[in-house]
Amino acid sequence: MAKPQKHTARASAARVIAEVIQKKHSLNGVLTAALTSLPDNDRSLCQQLCYGVIRWQPQLEAISQSLLTKSLRAKDADIAALLLCGIYQLRDMRVPAHAAISETVNACKTLGKPWATGLLNASLRNYQRQHDEIEAKILQQESAQYAHPDWLIQRFKQDWPEQWPAILEANNLQPPMMIRVNKQHGSRQDYLTRMAQANIDATAIEVCSEGVLLDTPCDVFQLPGFADGDASVQDGAAQLVAQLLDLKPNLRILDACAAPGGKTCHILEQFPDNQMVALDIDPRRLLQIKQNTDRLKLNAELIASDAVDVDNWWDGQLFDRILIDAPCSGTGVIRRHPDIKLLRRPDDIATLAQQQQQLLNKLWPLLKPDGVLIYTTCSALKQENEEQVASFLQYHPEAQENAISPTPAERRSFGYQRLPGDNMLDGFYYASLSHR
Amino acid sequence: MTRFGQLFNLLGLFMALLEILHFPDQRLRKKATAVTEITAKIRQLAEDMLETMYDAPGVGLAANQVNVQKRLVVIDVSEDKSSPLIFINPEIINKQGEREHEEGCLSVPEAYELVTRADTVRVKALDLDGVAFELDADELLATCIQHEIDHLDGKLFVDYISNLKRQRIKKRLEKQFKQQR
Ligand SMILES: C[S@@+](CC[C@H](N)C(=O)[O-])C[C@H]1O[C@@H](n2cnc3c(N)ncnc32)[C@H](O)[C@@H]1O
Repeated sequence: MAKPQKHTARASAARVIAEVIQKKHSLNGVLTAALTSLPDNDRSLCQQLCYGVIRWQPQLEAISQSLLTKSLRAKDADIAALLLCGIYQLRDMRVPAHAAISETVNACKTLGKPWATGLLNASLRNYQRQHDEIEAKILQQESAQYAHPDWLIQRFKQDWPEQWPAILEANNLQPPMMIRVNKQHGSRQDYLTRMAQANIDATAIEVCSEGVLLDTPCDVFQLPGFADGDASVQDGAAQLVAQLLDLKPNLRILDACAAPGGKTCHILEQFPDNQMVALDIDPRRLLQIKQNTDRLKLNAELIASDAVDVDNWWDGQLFDRILIDAPCSGTGVIRRHPDIKLLRRPDDIATLAQQQQQLLNKLWPLLKPDGVLIYTTCSALKQENEEQVASFLQYHPEAQENAISPTPAERRSFGYQRLPGDNMLDGFYYASLSHR
Repeated sequence: MTRFGQLFNLLGLFMALLEILHFPDQRLRKKATAVTEITAKIRQLAEDMLETMYDAPGVGLAANQVNVQKRLVVIDVSEDKSSPLIFINPEIINKQGEREHEEGCLSVPEAYELVTRADTVRVKALDLDGVAFELDADELLATCIQHEIDHLDGKLFVDYISNLKRQRIKKRLEKQFKQQR
């Protein structure tokens, strides 16, 4: 048996970051696994380092390249990541510089690579010495300046010639925590009172009738009655979706891309007796819906299937409402999932757009003549949003796009677009479709 | 380690580092047979295995990992090489509880995964003088004993993880092995 790996906040963060960058695994998944083997008091630092470093990776990487005379070998990706952690602590964290350096250097030994201590020590001290020069130099590269990959900056520029710098900036901010109060269990006003009693500072989100914005994020189990289903974590932009569905009793509803079930549950909280079919292609993610409906004591028929494969799952009964919360680039929620910047490739967008188009085409025929289909994404790219709906309408003359009132976001040629950070909410796109 | 061992070690003589087989090498799947006589060769093997294990660095090594299909295991879970243990023909005679522990294996480089095993075990074995002993183990030692005895039966810790993860590790190691050639 190999000598057990040692775990400290910095060493674990380096391993996690290396795995995200090198193997393209999602940050949330890798980090959750890593946190289980860390002592409680190391977890928060590890998490801060992982999110911070991934958020600023293009910038930190540029600094690291100006410090290293030659790049590290692929098998030393953990050391490369540890250097990024060191730079991040010196720039952006309230850790005294000497502690940041010595603890980071020590982590080389925890990683079983004592040879790297000299390299890290020298690099971090060089950064301190040449700080102003290096910082000025990296700002000349756009990708470092805005901490986004070049191709994505180009996409945002092309789609949003005026707003792109604001979008990039909003993407780099730490996201606020928002929750949705379960109206079946009590009013938002009462819940705010309970939060105040629990010393959690929060305010109502004006545009969402059940939304609450926390002053500072907290662990979900600190929220009053979380385990009993009194509240759920959900950004306000996503909470607007249920309002668009024009819900009432006795509806048969399809949530075609449902996991982890945030919107499924929100829709059912409006009228728990409505008939809900919740589909997801990923059976493991489907389990998360089950956890959520169980906690909130709601009922949905859960099916693991590709929604496009209608013959495989459909019982032949039309739906009053269909929600397609489509798989997308996630370019509207980069502030919540900064690893999107590193995991997405330029050609992913066309592939996703094709999947979205198929979902629209295959599910449209399942809508009742007087039904409503809502198409949403958490993307900020036109190809997945207004252009997608435009081409759908072109091929389906029997369909029309409906104006929504009050408007959930800025009106576009088709549908409504919320850019990241508008009103503090996530970036989101909404369109309502029905038969002419 | 015996005095002779230490002396040889100082002289850099006789103490050989052995080659460790790597997953998915099929030889790791062979079952080891009982040691019937503790010969000089077996003693030398135990010394070499300890040395190989410390060098790796590891906390346990089973003879089939160095391509000798005998029921012999060496273990040292101390930080400073101060508690070497040698188990000949080891057998677990009691298991209690369950615990998840992160494991790595010298035959599966750079992979660490959570494995659930018994929390505490009692093991029976012979020492290098052929004297039977019993030992109660918990924590890392308990995990390590179970991990090494698995080796003697041709089992690896990756057999306990998901198929997907195992395939990923296998692919990576096959690629690394090819590059080294
Ligand atoms: C944006 S997420 C949905 C979020 C969810 N509606 C919520 O509010 O919690 C998109 C989901 O679509 C699923 N998905 C992707 N392609 C699919 C397909 N062809 N059929 C069904 N589900 C699909 C993904 O597994 C993913 O869980």
